[in-house]
Amino acid sequence: MATIGSMFIGIGGIAALVAVVSLFWGRSLGEKDGESLTNTGYLATFASFGAFTVSVFIMIAAFFREDFSLMYVASNHSTDVSGLSWLYKISGIWAGREGSLLFWAWLITVFAAYVAYRRIQKTDDLSNMGLAVMNIVLLFFTVALFVETNDPFKLSPAGWLGANGELLIASAMNPLLQHWAMIIHPPTLFIGYAGMTVPFAFAMAALIVGDGSKAWIKIVDRITVFAWLLLGIGIGLGAIWAYVVLGWGGYWAWDPVENASLLPWLTGVGLLHSFTVYRRRDGFKGWAIMMAAISFSVVILGTFITRSGLVQSVHAFGEDIFSAWLFGAMIVLPIVFAIWGLMARREMFSGNDDFESLTSKESSYYFNNVLMLVATIVVSYLTVSSALPSFLPGGGKSFGPDTYDAVAHPVGILYVLIMAVCPLLSWGKTEGATFWKRAKWPFVGTGVLGAALLTVWYTQLLPIAQKVGSSNSFEPLNVQSLYAVVGLLVAALAISVSVFMFTEGARRRAMAKEESFGAALWHIITHARTQSGGYLTHLGIGIILIGLIGSSMYVDDMDFAIPQTPGANFEAAGYTFTFNGINEVNIPNGDVESTLAFDVTDGSRLVQTVTPGQIFYYRQQQTRLNVDVITQPLRDVFVVYNGIDAAGNIQMNVKINPLISFAWAGFVILIIGSGLASWPKKLPEARPVAAVSKKRR
Amino acid sequence: MRVNKRARVRLIGVTAIILVAVGAIILGAGSGDGSYARSVSEALDDPELVGERVRVTGTVIDGSWDQGVKPMLFDIRDEGASSGPVINVVYSGSPPDTFGDGATAIVTGILSGDGSLDATDMITKCPTKYAAADGAMTVEDVLSSGANVIGTEITITGLVASDIQPAGGDSRFAIASTSAGEKIGIAFDGSLPSDIDEGDAVVITGEMRDDGFFHAIEVALSDSEK
Repeated sequence: MATIGSMFIGIGGIAALVAVVSLFWGRSLGEKDGESLTNTGYLATFASFGAFTVSVFIMIAAFFREDFSLMYVASNHSTDVSGLSWLYKISGIWAGREGSLLFWAWLITVFAAYVAYRRIQKTDDLSNMGLAVMNIVLLFFTVALFVETNDPFKLSPAGWLGANGELLIASAMNPLLQHWAMIIHPPTLFIGYAGMTVPFAFAMAALIVGDGSKAWIKIVDRITVFAWLLLGIGIGLGAIWAYVVLGWGGYWAWDPVENASLLPWLTGVGLLHSFTVYRRRDGFKGWAIMMAAISFSVVILGTFITRSGLVQSVHAFGEDIFSAWLFGAMIVLPIVFAIWGLMARREMFSGNDDFESLTSKESSYYFNNVLMLVATIVVSYLTVSSALPSFLPGGGKSFGPDTYDAVAHPVGILYVLIMAVCPLLSWGKTEGATFWKRAKWPFVGTGVLGAALLTVWYTQLLPIAQKVGSSNSFEPLNVQSLYAVVGLLVAALAISVSVFMFTEGARRRAMAKEESFGAALWHIITHARTQSGGYLTHLGIGIILIGLIGSSMYVDDMDFAIPQTPGANFEAAGYTFTFNGINEVNIPNGDVESTLAFDVTDGSRLVQTVTPGQIFYYRQQQTRLNVDVITQPLRDVFVVYNGIDAAGNIQMNVKINPLISFAWAGFVILIIGSGLASWPKKLPEARPVAAVSKKRR
Repeated sequence: MRVNKRARVRLIGVTAIILVAVGAIILGAGSGDGSYARSVSEALDDPELVGERVRVTGTVIDGSWDQGVKPMLFDIRDEGASSGPVINVVYSGSPPDTFGDGATAIVTGILSGDGSLDATDMITKCPTKYAAADGAMTVEDVLSSGANVIGTEITITGLVASDIQPAGGDSRFAIASTSAGEKIGIAFDGSLPSDIDEGDAVVITGEMRDDGFFHAIEVALSDSEK
């Protein structure tokens, strides 16, 4: 089975090679003579998809059969025996490095096959070259998969297996990964990573073909939004998982693994907005090409950081030089080719980029890109700094969350301000009178919402900071308070502007088309999906900012020790926590789950019973915490069981996370908004036109 | 360029301001927050690191800590070392859930000249199954004790002196005190540490029986194999 799995990867790789050769060769022969070669390229793309699908299927089947003769299955099989155990069997494929590489390569073939399917009726120059570049990327991945350290089908050493194929060593999937969010989080990220291959491929295609028009944008736009959307979902799920499973320090710790997923999301924002200017104003062409190349590049960089051990240990570089070169090439070459291509095709890609005023829409898009690029570079640099030579600033050193936050706080708030104001600006130059007319109601909304938020801040949040001090060692308390106040006002502005865009748009349409307000609003949402999706996404960001301010700057963290007797209690978060007892359950696979019960009371009123606990995973010899949370609109109260100390006392920890529900709510709205924006529109060509009876040439 | 020259200059100007501001923040925050990643012995060997922020990776020494005390004090030494230089860590936060004897701890803080570290951050990784060989009998001890130890639960330590056989047979593997010494066969059908190999030092709990084999309940790699 192992050899068959590898064989199909090989077949997939050969098919990709055939595709690349056919597409380039077919192009060189011209449209008529090259037609059959070009078609071969498309068919080879489908074949590659088929081959990789078989390979993935073989791997998943190995997990279901618990075929431990495969080293990857032995190291990554789940020990879960709950009703979800079959899902964990599937999730084994992306639990470790080799399998996730295979999974990612397969996803690239899925995207390639989709593009081929959508464009096979046209086989236009752009699509042919786009497909060719995607297949080149696939070739790199195939080669990587055949390096021994990356081979998902390598066999387990003999000593691992017993007479009946049973596993004799203490090895299995890390229990931290046996959680529902960990089933969905990796695949969504990988779909996002693989999807970022598409805009890059077509950016290269546009350069190769020499077509500076928005044709390539129209082909890749929806796919890019979709990929970015999936990245966002993946990041959010990772944050939820980190929040609930603990040990990771909250929902975001600027850990290299987290940063790796954030980088393409940041550049993706720049990319999508460059697309908007490209489509509507024929500008930002250089930006679009560069952002497409950089997005792909940081996707590979992120993987490299996470999977190669580059950052955990400065010395890990030496282990797999070949892979290092392979990934290094995939990081550097896209940017090199993009710059070179843009220089060579300078005239074709010079666009409508004259700035008339600093207060124009173009200007806000420009600063959007600049801030996203700066953020990407800063986060990348701080993440890899420990692997850099010491003559570079920060070389050899690694940086903690406080450094990242010190940059993220002001840059993030400035960014949301620009995002908020942009819809109020005009292309070219914004006339003062026009601006104030547009801004009037949003400013009123900002005032109302801002007042409410600042009241909450002053009465609930500031007292916490006065008690525990600033959350960031580089931000004195008054600086933190300044950021919080400005940030809340900016968030209020972002929310008000977004709501205004909907209400104003609906109101105008209702008047013009003599529809009801509701009908007009519905029409805008469902038909102007790019715009309405965009504004909904902005709304989500504004709400998330509120949540981030509360939960990152104003966390209260308290420890308690109480004796193990029922009735023992402690006070926290304005409540009394009374201990009721411990329950220990032995699970069939040897794991032990301990759960504690506490009554949480406010005076005599029972608010909730919380059941924090721990699971001891037998095979992996690891403990994982099961946190319980009291969820309220304005805060989460986290209740953590930290075990029994040497004196026999129960160690409890209570964390108060203010406004965290805003972060989750904003995240949901962001997903809905991006989903709306990525909803495919029917291409004009799909309308049945009698003339298109044979394939268009 | 037409009338846009002024706008363009302003654009570049604002961009420059943003870049400078971000740079300033990083330099300010970075210089305070950046830490040098070192092992325990590296950190103690380098006098230039005294007073600097270091991120030290080491193994928590068994029994050197008490979770109930704040700030928590514990000692770490280099991974894989059973003796050697030790750093005393003073940690003011709450320990992660994987903290414990033998856990790999990565602590960040200011290193003092007396070999202590004032730690502000800590993350831990989980160890594989290791056991301390202290208090365990050697193979010679067991062989010379003869009938006295039969049927009593003891812990023995030695080097793996044969290939590892599949489970189900009389003897899974043999151990000896030295590579050429007398061997004892170990009967064991349970799970072995994943990286066990001939020549490794192991610590085994179980009992000697009449059949001449040591019937093991648990097999672990010795601390010194880390």
